[in-house]
Amino acid sequence: MKIQIFGPGCVNCKTLEQRARRAAEELGVKAEFEKVTEIDAMIEAGIVRTPGLAIDGKLVSQGRVNTVAEIKTMLQQFSTDAR
Amino acid sequence: MAEYIQALRLRWQDWQLAFFSETVEEWKKFFWLMAAFLAFYFLPITSTDATRALAGGLALLQEYARKHVLTCLVPAFFIAGGIAVYVKKDSILQLLGPMAKKYIAYPVAAISGGLLAVCSCTILPLFAGIYKRGAGIGPAAAFLFSGPAVNVTAIILTSSVLGFDFALGRLFFAMTIAILAGIVMMLLFRDHDRKNGAGFASGANGEAEYSTAAVIAFFILQLVILVVFGLGIAQGLKYAIAGIALLSLVVLVLHKFSSEDNRRWIAETWDLSKKIMPYLFIGIFAAGAIGEVLPEDWVTATVGGNSLAANAIASVSGALMYFATLTEVPIIQKLMQLGMGRGPAMTLFLTGNALSIPSMMVLFKLMGAKQAMTYILTVVVLSIIAGLLWGSLTL
Repeated sequence: MKIQIFGPGCVNCKTLEQRARRAAEELGVKAEFEKVTEIDAMIEAGIVRTPGLAIDGKLVSQGRVNTVAEIKTMLQQFSTDAR
Repeated sequence: MAEYIQALRLRWQDWQLAFFSETVEEWKKFFWLMAAFLAFYFLPITSTDATRALAGGLALLQEYARKHVLTCLVPAFFIAGGIAVYVKKDSILQLLGPMAKKYIAYPVAAISGGLLAVCSCTILPLFAGIYKRGAGIGPAAAFLFSGPAVNVTAIILTSSVLGFDFALGRLFFAMTIAILAGIVMMLLFRDHDRKNGAGFASGANGEAEYSTAAVIAFFILQLVILVVFGLGIAQGLKYAIAGIALLSLVVLVLHKFSSEDNRRWIAETWDLSKKIMPYLFIGIFAAGAIGEVLPEDWVTATVGGNSLAANAIASVSGALMYFATLTEVPIIQKLMQLGMGRGPAMTLFLTGNALSIPSMMVLFKLMGAKQAMTYILTVVVLSIIAGLLWGSLTL
């Protein structure tokens, strides 16, 4: 599973990354993390409001620092879809 | 012999490696130490100018601490934090999408700068998004200008320090220039817009969905608290009104909004304060210090009155200078005390926030040299005109 965090590097995206890492850890999901800071890459992904969160290349949230519980639900959805 | 030379060469390489990999950091430290040493060695610390500057900086800090922090900055940060959390930004963004009607997109872009981008780090991604996948270059340029210029905390602080009329003028000109600059860009670079088709990605989940009435009440109550302290009414009445508003605010927040969002509100407010306050205090001190040593006749000669030259100087220097958020307020306040005209002061407010050398560099990268230069020139010229108008209006 690949988790991408989009944001130029202010506190919001850092918090989101921490929470995503914790969510993956709590679920025992092996995830590869990538932090996208290039504005062009963000636009490519359709991000307008930072921070953004994408799982396996699909944008799941933007403009919001999701809670750990929210990220866990999103991760679970993705792992059941994959099966 | 050959072995010996070989060993020597290896050692030389080792040494080189060690030296060059670690030296950058070390040189930085050395540079700072050297700078501090030279400063303390050569600065006329005991001269009257230096002591006056120091005292001036501290005096202005005290003025701000006593007059503006509790009654203006703190509420302003709470309002800005609230905007970041409770305002439904998706619906605003819809009005800036590729399908948006142009006559709606421009005013929305000009107003929404302050609503969509509370923190400056969100402005450029938003601008790039509107530019490349949304309503196109015109509204994007309008947003780019209004984002930093129509900043809620900055307008509130301006009102507290320089008066309500100045804050209102700043807001009005910022919005007008945003729209005009957007229209200019659209007319000159019409071709750009044909490429937009992809649109913004949807699938942004979990926006706070609160009733508009509750959100509006939330902001009005905070504005009441903010305004009541600026009114010249009896002390007791002041605290009574503020107290009632505060109590209603707490009740409203606890009943209407989720506790998760309320926590985010506090976190967002704290985050903003943490980011802005240190730079603001440094800026206030610097403004106070400069205000003491800058010769008054020099200020009057360059940016006094309301001449075209004065406004042009203010506009260009504002475009080149970088003001950390809010620091433009104490600096312009001091310059005005030294004789800067109201027109040039307005001009400096307009370009000072919207442009700086770092932001220009990003613009060149995102838009290309031609469009970036056009945007910068447009903003500089429109700000001069706005300053001239404002100055002649209040002379």
